[in-house]
Amino acid sequence: MSRIAVLSNVNMNFVIRMLGKEAEVYQAEGYGNELGTLMNPASSYHAFAPEYTFLIMDLMELLEHELEPETAKGKIQNWFGGLEAALKPEVIYYVSDAYLWGVELAAVFEPGRKAALEQLWQQELEELCRRHGNVRMLPYRHLIESMGETTAFSMKMWYMGKILLSNEAQKLLCGLILEKLKIETRTPKKLLVLDLDNTLWGGLAGENDITPIELSEDHTGLAYKNLQRVILQMQRQGVLLAIVSKNNEQDAMEILEHHPHMVLRGEAFAAKRINWQPKHENIRDIARELNLGTDSFVFWDDNPTERELIKEMLPEVAVPDFPDKPEKLAPAMVEIYKEYFAKSSITEEDRKKTAQYAANSARQELERKAGSFEDYLKQLEIVMTRVNPEKHMERLTQLVNKTNQFNLTTKRYTQGQMAEILQDEEKRVYLYSVADRFGDNGIVAAVIVNLGAIGAVSKRVGSGKTATDEGFLDLLGLQGCPVVEEFVMSCRVMGKNIEYAIMEDVEADLRESGYAFLRGMYLPTAKNQPVAELYDRLGYRRLEAEECGNAGKPESDGNVCGNTGKPESNGNVCGEPTGRVYEIELSKAPKRLHQVKVIREA
Amino acid sequence: MKEKVIALIEEALNVPAGTITENTLIADVEEWDSLAHVMIIGELEEKLGIVLPLEEAIELTGVKELFEKAGIE
Repeated sequence: MSRIAVLSNVNMNFVIRMLGKEAEVYQAEGYGNELGTLMNPASSYHAFAPEYTFLIMDLMELLEHELEPETAKGKIQNWFGGLEAALKPEVIYYVSDAYLWGVELAAVFEPGRKAALEQLWQQELEELCRRHGNVRMLPYRHLIESMGETTAFSMKMWYMGKILLSNEAQKLLCGLILEKLKIETRTPKKLLVLDLDNTLWGGLAGENDITPIELSEDHTGLAYKNLQRVILQMQRQGVLLAIVSKNNEQDAMEILEHHPHMVLRGEAFAAKRINWQPKHENIRDIARELNLGTDSFVFWDDNPTERELIKEMLPEVAVPDFPDKPEKLAPAMVEIYKEYFAKSSITEEDRKKTAQYAANSARQELERKAGSFEDYLKQLEIVMTRVNPEKHMERLTQLVNKTNQFNLTTKRYTQGQMAEILQDEEKRVYLYSVADRFGDNGIVAAVIVNLGAIGAVSKRVGSGKTATDEGFLDLLGLQGCPVVEEFVMSCRVMGKNIEYAIMEDVEADLRESGYAFLRGMYLPTAKNQPVAELYDRLGYRRLEAEECGNAGKPESDGNVCGNTGKPESNGNVCGEPTGRVYEIELSKAPKRLHQVKVIREA
Repeated sequence: MKEKVIALIEEALNVPAGTITENTLIADVEEWDSLAHVMIIGELEEKLGIVLPLEEAIELTGVKELFEKAGIE
């Protein structure tokens, strides 16, 4: 259960009581002192140490009914200034957007005053979210608007107990908070597989002479067009789309490219399989092409037989139900978005995703044309940039947490833990963006090195001994030398030997700092088989159990394990029978085959 | 209607059916604190359309009084 706090300037005790069934909730001491609670290091709030803090603010109370814009602006800026000063990097904050409500509003002459005051809040909140990756907006306003003022607010409950919202609205607010918690804690899906006939449009393609497909600006046709609008919005926020449809490709493409009411054009899709092959085979094929796991797929098809087939053949694919009426299509897709794809924040990477995958297809084309692999790499003109991880903490955390295949240790971190690592002098974090002649892939790889605690100094060149000296064997392990704790790379850029360039950069950096040895480890999971031999390919030496010192000391069950190989939090590594520790002497690291130009950003 | 009101109160207080009767006094039920009381008044309004004037709602002491004030037979 997540640990959460709900702070407010109105009575939220009922919401807190309801949330208690689903989460561990901080028992607020009254209400109206939210900033004091956040700022006071001795408060019971800090003792409780919530992972998520929800600030549900009533703008009218905050303004103390002062509706003059200049005075209001001062109060709002003060509040946000106080909040910003109290923010802690390890906590995720949700701050409600504004809905101004109060009896006197109806007597204000200017009709635009309410919106103008709300806008002051909105602007401050948006800026705060931009500056802090751990602050997000809670769409409280939408909740009130969709219910309507008369059902959302209750004057009587306000008079009785400073409870602003009706019971119904409080229940919906509770649901909204739980929905956000879910989004924070689950792994989002990546790709939506869509059928065409009776899914993206009504009717069957290729029968236009008899009956045209239903896709238009009115009636049922508009319901399909609206569905496409929802899907396009999802695509723009990083959801990849694919078509798997049984049609004559020419008929379908004719509609995709030329139908005046198609919202989703061909380029919106990262992959298309319009043929008569069984759908599960097409889906597997797409997974191979895009280098994605089918467990990140959602399949949507109007045909129940096809849905059953996929459930049977590919049980890891999510297969939501299909609505029975066209007018339910768009709302159903919104639910699918929330259930499987919605993320707590959208990064620049997400917005560019489909273009990046499309560029990948162009790269494959070049691979076919170029003669040797080396020529191909050369022609790609890959440029890799080491960027400042502190400036991209959100992406760093996202990358580490959602990468499954190219992930040597599969540790997961909260944003807060990542913030601590960035501050930790014993850790070095390397973050890379990669571009080539077909486009910018953005930030796609990260390495975290633990420099080792006490014995690190004796491992440095100049200690007069090398690490393989007998007396140093015990230092070799846990504290003896830097260890690569984390090495992840997005599957988008796999297969171009970029990992070689990355490790050469890390090795060079450590060498420059005086380290003589570097260790790495591979902890197998169901997904990371592709990197099982990575360190072998990089020229690292596999350590036998007895060589590892603390790092590789066999446990009673004979597994290679130890402090370096044991993630502090989830501790599931010891049970892995084939975890391996590797080592390289940095001065003897071989030159590897790659064609990557490396830039170190200041 | 009386049964409906009692069932609504029991649900809001999260107590077993049969706990609340016409003779129950608010002070005798541990779960019926001031927050729960506001909730019950809200639920009566939102779910059953039973509207008590503010002062009566605040000063209410028990179920029988509620029935009388709201005119529930």
